[in-house]
Amino acid sequence: MIETFKSVIDTLSAPTVSFTLLTLLTPLIFPPTDWFDKLNRKLGIWRLWTKPGLWAGMGFITFFFIVGYFDPNFNITLTKPDNFPIVLMVYSMFFFIWLGMKKAYINDDRLAEGLKPEEYNDPDDKVLVWPDLVYIEFISLILFMVFLIVWSILVAAPLEEPANPASTPNPSKAPWYFLGLQEMLVYFDPWLAGIVFPMFIIFGMMAIPYIDTNPKGDGYYSFKERRIGIFIFMYGWLILWLFLIVIGTFFRGPNWNFFGPFEYWDPHKVVPLNNVNLSEYLWVKMLSTGLPTNIMLREFMGFLVVFAYMFVFPILLAKTWLKDLFEKIGPIRYTTLMLFGLSMFSLPIKMYLRWFFNLKYIIAIPEWFFNI
Amino acid sequence: MSEEKITPTASVGTSTQNSENGKEMGRRGFFKWLSLGWIAFAGATGGFFTVMIRFLFPNVLFEPPQTLKIGFPNDYATNTVDIRYKKSFNIWVVRDEESIFALSTVCTHLGCTPNWLRTEGKFKCPCHGSGFRMTGINFEGPAPRPLERYKVSLSNDGQILVDKTKSFKWEKGEWENSESFLVV
Amino acid sequence: MAKDNKQKSFLERMGESQVWKSIIRSGVPHTRRQRMHAILGSVFLHLHPARLPKHAVKVGYTWCMGGLSFFLFVVLTITGILLMFYYRPTVEYAYTDIIDLTEQVPLGMMRELHRWGAHAMVLTVWLHMLRVFMTGSYKPPREFNWGVGVLLMTMTMFLSFTGYLLPWDQLAIWAVTVGTNMARAHPFIGHEGPGASLLAIGDINLVHMGSDVRFALLGGRFVGEATLLRFYVLHCIAVPFIMMIFLAVHFWRIRKDGGISGPL
Repeated sequence: MIETFKSVIDTLSAPTVSFTLLTLLTPLIFPPTDWFDKLNRKLGIWRLWTKPGLWAGMGFITFFFIVGYFDPNFNITLTKPDNFPIVLMVYSMFFFIWLGMKKAYINDDRLAEGLKPEEYNDPDDKVLVWPDLVYIEFISLILFMVFLIVWSILVAAPLEEPANPASTPNPSKAPWYFLGLQEMLVYFDPWLAGIVFPMFIIFGMMAIPYIDTNPKGDGYYSFKERRIGIFIFMYGWLILWLFLIVIGTFFRGPNWNFFGPFEYWDPHKVVPLNNVNLSEYLWVKMLSTGLPTNIMLREFMGFLVVFAYMFVFPILLAKTWLKDLFEKIGPIRYTTLMLFGLSMFSLPIKMYLRWFFNLKYIIAIPEWFFNI
Repeated sequence: MSEEKITPTASVGTSTQNSENGKEMGRRGFFKWLSLGWIAFAGATGGFFTVMIRFLFPNVLFEPPQTLKIGFPNDYATNTVDIRYKKSFNIWVVRDEESIFALSTVCTHLGCTPNWLRTEGKFKCPCHGSGFRMTGINFEGPAPRPLERYKVSLSNDGQILVDKTKSFKWEKGEWENSESFLVV
Repeated sequence: MAKDNKQKSFLERMGESQVWKSIIRSGVPHTRRQRMHAILGSVFLHLHPARLPKHAVKVGYTWCMGGLSFFLFVVLTITGILLMFYYRPTVEYAYTDIIDLTEQVPLGMMRELHRWGAHAMVLTVWLHMLRVFMTGSYKPPREFNWGVGVLLMTMTMFLSFTGYLLPWDQLAIWAVTVGTNMARAHPFIGHEGPGASLLAIGDINLVHMGSDVRFALLGGRFVGEATLLRFYVLHCIAVPFIMMIFLAVHFWRIRKDGGISGPL
């Protein structure tokens, strides 16, 4: 029974499976359109945001970690000092998203009935900060300090072997909160994954309030009124950030190969990873000629693809499917949204291209350190 | 003070009292001095920040020597990768059918140290999974380009001399350079 | 005061003493007015408004995560200062000093508090951001403060990064190697970044291993003594200093933007 569970989890955890499943699930869990909403109701996914949903989710996470703790292979990953706070992350993220969504659903129902949101109070009926807020802050601060002290007594802070410039640990992992970035580095060159994309994440997040012109849902939990915004945010946050952290922490083993969480970390696991550039696909495999010596000629296909994706595609969208949006938010907001949005979605696209076609670079100009 | 004689455009009070040489500073002169002042301010600020940034770049570095003698060519067997100097000098000494060359142990992706897996005949980086063949050519994982080779030469006593200050990059066609390998 | 002096409790009498009043400015707050005065008259508490809408004191709405993040910032500052008494940022001593901190120093838990506090702070900051997003609190007039918050989150992460380098263990050296090699690939100002080769006069490259952004970060061409010192200074002084300025702006803007967000 337990063994079946483990092998099922191992199979599901293969990135091609788990990432695809989660990508398909996200629009069902946070339905951005009526069609998905209908499906969400039909499949009963909304029940996730009820009390039984909370218990089921918490139960599953707990079961997974208990089984993991007693599994000799997973135990090593799980109890590594720099990894295990990820347990707190999984629990707290699930709980707080549950809490937020539950409140959002309650407010959605209230708003549908023409009532004010639950948070609404008469503006004249205010409470005093002393004592009402100060005491709450004081109590939560003490409770948190107790929690931190207990944590510090129970678990020693991570300390690895003394620095040795000659031998890199295998696998060499950053603490859990950076493993999403580290995972990104597998698919993109450092100048993109290490510099440009982190900048884009920061500036993209800062741009959210200026792009999201929807005035509704300000100051209270709600979902229906701003479902597209929440969906896009949740896809970036849950899948492209938190799930990549989970992948990096639990599913990456020696030589940065994929392993199921209950799988033995075999350092000699052979994974054929012959990565091929788009230019090689075009000139060598399709046209059966050698690579042209002229760099621009060699890579023109890649430039074409990137140009089409980043510049032509948004214009086409603005004229067809996103016409209403374009007219509503105007060209500057639309351009910003597309720049950050398309960059964000380029990550899963590149991941799939790597997994299924062994595609290394779309544009490969190592001579100029310019690889995309 | 401006040397030009400028007619006052606004007569507020008796401003002649204030100027020492009796000349009045008109609107033109005022703007001249104002812009000069601002330019000087911008220049000084810019200069200060330039110096501040320059401050971050030390002139003298305390770094270990970059050349090493690694023994005689016959110490290395054909088609092997020697890992003796990996720890102390960050190089692999590789001998193939025709030549001996020194490969840098710095992964071209993000600088981790790959491991030589003899059975699989490749260098494999533990950080992000880049793989390199014995020649240093990258073939898997995220590494964008092959490992770098260092300058090798024969010293007077017949030993191989590796000079890490000069490196050769494959993608720039520098491996053709006769300094990047030693014919044996 | 209707009560006679004899009937008053010790605490009450203390609250009316000259010393107490001179420090706290108001006595023991009993009336509504005095309670508001207690908040307004204290430099620490006046970050708060005197009165709040009811939903703002519900933990279910705020999750208390912003407050806890700030609290952790304070905890990390205090424990960090204590750790600095024992830690020497040199390649020779860094690692052994860390071991001493656990084994020789009384209350050897200080490093644990600092390290786990940092992990916890990353989490609370993320959760705070999640709460602000879920309640749509980034919407006007709070757009700017959301941006400040994003920068504060970035600084939290950067503090974590510079912090775990300091023990100079295997994690530290490889994290700094990987992290600073990303700087090597910075467009234009990293010597292995796209565009760097364009910045050249004739045959002389302006951006090379000894002049790029990575060099400035490391204080040399290789990870070593100078690197450790630079990251130590960044971690202990530079980033916390900038962060405190941004924290002040963040808190001030909460008040200026109409207090805590809520439905109209």
